[in-house]
Amino acid sequence: MLQQVNVNIDGANIRATRGTTVLDAAIEYGICIPHLCHVPYLSSISACRLCIVEHVVNGRSNVTASCTLNVEEGMVILTNTDKIRRLRRNLAELLVAQAPNSRAIQDIALRCGVKEVRYPFRNDDCVLCGRCVQMCTEVWKARAIGFVGRGKERHVDYPFGIRPDFCKQCGSCVQLCPMTIPPCDGPMKPGEEYLCRKCESQLMLADETPDHCVWCKLGESFGCGRYVGIKS
Amino acid sequence: MPSRTLEQILEGRRSQPNQLIEVLQDVQASHGYISEEAMQAVSQGLGVPIMEVYRVASFYTAFRLKPSGKNVLTMCMGTACHVRGARLLMDQATGQLGVKPREVTPDGLFSVDHVNCLGACALGPIVTENGTYHHHMTPSKLRKLIDTLSRQKAED
Ligand code: SF4
Ligand code: SF4
Ligand code: FES
Ligand code: FES
Repeated sequence: MLQQVNVNIDGANIRATRGTTVLDAAIEYGICIPHLCHVPYLSSISACRLCIVEHVVNGRSNVTASCTLNVEEGMVILTNTDKIRRLRRNLAELLVAQAPNSRAIQDIALRCGVKEVRYPFRNDDCVLCGRCVQMCTEVWKARAIGFVGRGKERHVDYPFGIRPDFCKQCGSCVQLCPMTIPPCDGPMKPGEEYLCRKCESQLMLADETPDHCVWCKLGESFGCGRYVGIKS
Repeated sequence: MPSRTLEQILEGRRSQPNQLIEVLQDVQASHGYISEEAMQAVSQGLGVPIMEVYRVASFYTAFRLKPSGKNVLTMCMGTACHVRGARLLMDQATGQLGVKPREVTPDGLFSVDHVNCLGACALGPIVTENGTYHHHMTPSKLRKLIDTLSRQKAED
């Protein structure tokens, strides 16, 4: 039998199944914690750190990624404090600086309150979220791609950089990649490091009601738990 | 150096994925680097997907994926050596030899490496040449060292 536990997220008492993560429990209840590397049917590797929350234990709070934090009885979680908002905005800003050419990254940055980017643009084509790697490993069991190198050199690649014949050419790695959503043609270019915010009218909501789910492009195309919930 | 073949290294460890790092260390120790073929053999021998072997081998700086040069110059880039000018030494070596860190000169004589601390901080900056420590290095001492080494090799 599935055991239920009581957790308190942003003041709401939520019953969640033991073994689910705080992120899943929050989304299911309707509290959107921004997240990028988490995909509902894959296990999380906590690469993007966008889903940070404050986990309050005995009056002290730890900032930790909610996609790998399992619910426990009596847990107290805050997803929307000043501290979290500040940290999250900074993380999102770094993501945009690393890879501004993706609508998904732009959306999530806007969602996290980024309006201008203080870091130099790197124009990379990967944010190392690991979604492609998890997909290939867990769903297709192909292990045709993975992380290679460390530190600055870390990147996603085939073994020895050559597509192996056990790659099934299923294309799911590409489908899950946030970099495949073309950017809007607003600014967000070197020299004009701010978001145009003309994106979707919905996203304008981000201004008025910060930290609520804005049904972002990212969630739609990548099966954010909320969209998945509606379909099934 | 008694160099062991891949067969010998894998002996008794087949189908034990948890032996991955130990096996790679042994390959590194007896072959000097880990070739693609070696990784394929390790992958098959231990039953670890090749992607995993490659990921691990490319992660740790202790593993080289290409053969090193005859002379290995290792610059310490640790904090203590860094503040005493390790950067200048690295520039001297890479400039003089015309290679990037962790690369081998085209004639195969030199490779330049960097590490993060050799545990002799008080004597820094440290450069090791084929395992021999040179303390209080300066760019000009290093230039002479490289000159001597290349002359030696040219002679024999
Ligand atoms: S296309 Fe190849 S690399 Fe991409 S998920 Fe499929 S099997 Fe893996
Ligand atoms: S290639 Fe795309 S999905 Fe894969 S880690 Fe990079 S950004 Fe993420
Ligand atoms: S969604 Fe949790 S770290 Fe990326
Ligand atoms: S920093 Fe160079 S030996 Fe410690």
